[in-house]
Amino acid sequence: MDELELLKKDWGKEGSTYKKLSANEIYPILQKKSSSIAKTLFYISVGELVFWILINTIPYFSSDSYRERLDAVYSNDYVFVALTALSYGVILLFIYLLFKAHKAISATDNAKKLMESILKTRRVIKYYVIYNLVMAFVSMLVGLYFAIINDPKLENTISHFNNKQIIVAYAIVIGVTAFLIVAVWLFYKLLYGLLLKRLNRNYKELKKLEL
Amino acid sequence: MKKELEHSFVELLEKHQNIIHKVCRLYTNNYDAHNDLFQEITIQLWKAYPKFRGDSKFSTWMYRVGLNTAITLYRKSKRSIITQDFEGIAFKIRAEVYDDTEEQQLKTLYKAVHELNDIEKALIFLYLEDKDYREISETMGISEVNARVKMNRIKTKLKTILNP
Repeated sequence: MDELELLKKDWGKEGSTYKKLSANEIYPILQKKSSSIAKTLFYISVGELVFWILINTIPYFSSDSYRERLDAVYSNDYVFVALTALSYGVILLFIYLLFKAHKAISATDNAKKLMESILKTRRVIKYYVIYNLVMAFVSMLVGLYFAIINDPKLENTISHFNNKQIIVAYAIVIGVTAFLIVAVWLFYKLLYGLLLKRLNRNYKELKKLEL
Repeated sequence: MKKELEHSFVELLEKHQNIIHKVCRLYTNNYDAHNDLFQEITIQLWKAYPKFRGDSKFSTWMYRVGLNTAITLYRKSKRSIITQDFEGIAFKIRAEVYDDTEEQQLKTLYKAVHELNDIEKALIFLYLEDKDYREISETMGISEVNARVKMNRIKTKLKTILNP
């Protein structure tokens, strides 16, 4: 194709048209912070870890009565202690997986591998979020169950409910929780969707070449 | 030690900076965006530099990091409003009366290249830089055969854009 040859010939001269940066102009660039997708994902994953740890611990430290009640449960019930230990284990596991995934992102890999490393990091964050959302839902149900059993006031109120009212009350609590969780999930979908839109498109394009 | 590293890096970058400018030329179309991408590629190169081994040529290594930054890592900053500029240009080419001079032909060619998608641009860039299919396949992470097939398709696509 003659036109491409023409372009190639001209391309060789290309670049001479740009203003060359001197060494003195390059040094300051090295001090600047990267605003790459990898960096943004890193901040998001750290934020994610901190956010969910806070969500799980703030109620414990901010409410005295809640703490006393929890402490009472903990001293009697090894199941709760084991569950808490397990949840911290899971957090540690995710910290390790995220660290590993971030380490694997390297701008010197080939394009496909780099894209895969980034998508893998995104997957780890996704699993962490799913884990927390599922746990939030389960704790809500378990919490409700224990509240009814242990709280005389609540138990008293419920005992006056007829069957239909009980079902409606449960449905409302479960419905609201599910709605909140879905809302949070959609927020994440949107966040990552926007952030990784171009990456996903380019990755698909590259994968298409392999077919 | 760090000063030495910095010094050798800046020296190499200064010498080979045209490669980065060319990547920027391909993936951006205004001055601010060009500078922004140039900075990001430089930062990525600098971050990866301690791992750079002399066994691959600095320029070869730059192609890889430069393209990776442009098609994967780079997030467009708010300063650059790309899409709007783009439509305007594309519309203008078709409206222009075709002129047979080489300069006009080149102008149209560059605009056609700009209309390709990110991956196609990367492949055409490596082709224009006279890289062989082995290097293209290694940079992109696809097989040589697929690189060849895709390149032929891009050439056809460019032809269609040029002679609709």
